[in-house]
Amino acid sequence: MQVRWSKWSPRIALIPAVVITAVAFVGAICWTIYISFTRSRRFPEYEIDFSEWGRQYERLFNDGAWETSLQNLLVLGIGSALAIVLGFILAAMIEREKRGEGFFRTIFLYPLAVSLIVTGIVWRWLFNPDLGIENFLQQLGFENASFNWLAAPDTAMYGIILASIWHGSGFYMALMLAGLKGINTEIWSAAKLDGVSFWRFYIEIVIPMMKFTFLTCAILLSLGVVKAYDIIVAMTNGGPGSSTWMPAFFTINAYAGRSNIAYASAAAVIMLLITAAIFIPLVLVTAWQTRRREAQQV
Amino acid sequence: MTEIVASNPEVREFKSYPPKPRKLTGSSIAILVFLTMCAAFVAIPLYVIIVTSLKDMAQIRFGDIFSLPEVWTLEPWRVAWDEVCSGVTCEGVKIGFFNSIMILIPSLILSIGLSAVTGYALALWNVKWAGTFLFILFTAAFVPFQIIMIPLIIMSGIIKVYGTVWGVAIVHAVLAMPLLTLIFRNYYKDIPSEIMNAAIMDSGSFWKIFGEIILPMSGNIMIVVLILQITSIWNDFLIGLTFGGIGTKPMTVILANSVITSRGEVTYNVDMAAALLTAIPPLLIYFVLGKFFVQGITAGAIKG
Amino acid sequence: MPCVEFRNIAKQYGRVTVLDELDLTVEDGEFLVLLGPSGCGKTTLLNLLAGLIETTAGTITIDGRDVTEADPKDRGLAMVFQSYALYPTKTVRGNLRFGLSSQKLDKAEVDRRVAWAAKLLQIEPLLDRKPGQLSGGQRQRVAIGRALVKNVGVFLFDEPLSNLDAKLRTEMRLEIKRLHNELHQTIVYVTHDQIEAMTMATRIAVMDGGVIQQIGTPDEIYETPANLFVAQFIGAPAMNMLKGTLKVAGDRVTAQLDEVGAELDLSGHAFASAPENGAPIVAGLRPEHFSVGQTAESEATSFALPVRYTEKTGGDATAFLNTKSDNGLLAVRVDPALVAALESGGDLAVSFPASRINLFDARSGQRM
Repeated sequence: MQVRWSKWSPRIALIPAVVITAVAFVGAICWTIYISFTRSRRFPEYEIDFSEWGRQYERLFNDGAWETSLQNLLVLGIGSALAIVLGFILAAMIEREKRGEGFFRTIFLYPLAVSLIVTGIVWRWLFNPDLGIENFLQQLGFENASFNWLAAPDTAMYGIILASIWHGSGFYMALMLAGLKGINTEIWSAAKLDGVSFWRFYIEIVIPMMKFTFLTCAILLSLGVVKAYDIIVAMTNGGPGSSTWMPAFFTINAYAGRSNIAYASAAAVIMLLITAAIFIPLVLVTAWQTRRREAQQV
Repeated sequence: MTEIVASNPEVREFKSYPPKPRKLTGSSIAILVFLTMCAAFVAIPLYVIIVTSLKDMAQIRFGDIFSLPEVWTLEPWRVAWDEVCSGVTCEGVKIGFFNSIMILIPSLILSIGLSAVTGYALALWNVKWAGTFLFILFTAAFVPFQIIMIPLIIMSGIIKVYGTVWGVAIVHAVLAMPLLTLIFRNYYKDIPSEIMNAAIMDSGSFWKIFGEIILPMSGNIMIVVLILQITSIWNDFLIGLTFGGIGTKPMTVILANSVITSRGEVTYNVDMAAALLTAIPPLLIYFVLGKFFVQGITAGAIKG
Repeated sequence: MPCVEFRNIAKQYGRVTVLDELDLTVEDGEFLVLLGPSGCGKTTLLNLLAGLIETTAGTITIDGRDVTEADPKDRGLAMVFQSYALYPTKTVRGNLRFGLSSQKLDKAEVDRRVAWAAKLLQIEPLLDRKPGQLSGGQRQRVAIGRALVKNVGVFLFDEPLSNLDAKLRTEMRLEIKRLHNELHQTIVYVTHDQIEAMTMATRIAVMDGGVIQQIGTPDEIYETPANLFVAQFIGAPAMNMLKGTLKVAGDRVTAQLDEVGAELDLSGHAFASAPENGAPIVAGLRPEHFSVGQTAESEATSFALPVRYTEKTGGDATAFLNTKSDNGLLAVRVDPALVAALESGGDLAVSFPASRINLFDARSGQRM
């Protein structure tokens, strides 16, 4: 029987992708999980001491810096959720007013093209106590104005939140705008004819219709927060003390700073678990939406 | 003879009317004021970084970050480009600029080439396990970098690319592969199946169909993916930091080193100039190809 | 000589069986139309022949060669698709050339064939345009051209005219028929449009539920439908179906048709098997076989029924009569000149010649 190349060439073409996935993703994740149960330090050791296989995790949850990291994860997550709210308000106003849509969209979105390192450096400059905004406000006559957030452990995270909102709200605006434009125009016309008030229309009709856009935004935001690293390095480098550590920062530090592979792996495994907890709802939502779309098409 | 009677819309001329001016109502004004304030909040950092980079240190030390330069100077830009110190070397951010380009080009070719072919095979050819593989790719696109970082470092050491531009480029390509494959696959999936069937009957060759039919149809998605990749590789910090060696680190890492860990008197104008130099390539792309940029970041949304 | 042969074909998608134990032979030079409602399996059958989907069981041979496992490009086929499936980034010339890419031909031969097909289809001025710049009819011609250049023995058409407007459809119907007459190649043509089937086919295979219900020339299919499905599917307005019961008394066979209140004399009917007394039957009467008023023909059945409404379509007119069952309608082709008189209501007396009756067994649906 002749060889059917049409059957084999796509499979051959897929080999690189399959190998990469198997080695660099599946294999690498398994390796990291395995190593997190060992006593590896600078170099990987493959022996597991079963009497204390969970020692890295035990250490991790007794580590103050890790506790701070997890707290900050929550703080940054809740704080930068403001970017979603702001994004929605901006999108709703742009969509309603239409005038200057292109201009405002261009302005609101440009921070996304700026790397988080540059973002952090710029905001560090704005937060500079002697020469930045604080100085500017005091010169204006607000003697008590304090904008030196990054210097104090209890306000440093707020500085990072502010910079994150600056960087991200345009992105959520773009997603919201796409969602708003997806709403049937007849609904807007119907509401206008019915004389529904502005606020009631948005709260009772638009927001419920956009619940999946909101959910997507929330999930994307959470995933971004788990990965937050660059902005921390650029703004505070974890300081003051370890007050602005985040899990991603902690993991890199355990590897590059403390040269402890097993410890870094354990922290990375927890990061993976957090990601999975966020990721699984996304999968369910996507599957649900796909099914709904298909059902509509039939 | 209905054709003769029927009016031809192309021939018929319509009167042109002047556009009706829209009324500016109270709520419109309120909205525009609010939007302008928000736009100012978003735009101010860019303004501050630009004016700071054009001032001399004497004026900066005086405070007032919002004021325009009294003496306009490009000196900070020159210093940032040519002289600024990163670690022990003091050759400016230009080293990083060239490194970033050296990283960018091979990783663009690798990641886009690999992902386009993979997406094409998964979308248009009958591969039984395509669904399973796509799900794995979807999952892989979300995995935090840290969980695969250490094994990747060890592996790149084994194939002797650790610390080279090639190492950074390959890691970028590997990490981008799942997401880009999904983007290409979703685009190719919408190519009508009859076109694919016709091509299978006409040629039947996997590569010939890709090269002659599918690739010429991918113009739009190629631009979107190209912009997405250029921006994300150029703006990357972590991969460059962990995989770049001495003298092969990308621009963001050089910038961070020179600004964050610099000693002695801080020259804010040089810092801002260096930051601007780093930010200019993606900003340029954004302002020139904004439409594709938005599509790109929306498609790449899951990258976070 | 059989050109295409399907033997014992089965196609299943998971647990769903689309085709089962299907046999079909297409003779050389034949224009075979696969006709049936959507979902009847006709497109599946065509795609199996093209090799675009794989058979679950059975064999397909083309020109005596078993191609069941062969690649689509190696089967010696060309196909015209419903949406034309032109390559949008290639010019018309590029589209035609790409059709030849699996055959290793020298450049001169490729150019010669492209020129030949372009001339045949009158698309020469369009050769350097892209598909996006063509009208629907022009695209259709290019799609046919792309198939023609391949110079193969069998052409497949998958509802190629369904995206065209009525006028163009008539034109292209003639065009395809002309090409078949000139080139004498074997054509397998899928459609759900009976007009296309009746006007173009040398043979029609009527399909329903994955089964070939009847295969024959257009006249055979029309005049002597093999079963109730074919009888009702072919013809517009559809054949009138009247239920009745057979009465056998010696040589005399009759059927009482309660719906029209008439008795049918079937003594002269050529039954496939001996008629059985009391058997339920369905009598099929084509609207155009009625004649208005009494006829001289002695074997005709006559009855009169009230007119419900009339429909005039240009040169033709149809009167719909109320039958005696609830909401039953009987379609009768009438002279358009009569319509005005019929609109006032009242009964219309019609008669039907016995020789034109299609008789079906009500239990099996098969022709008697």
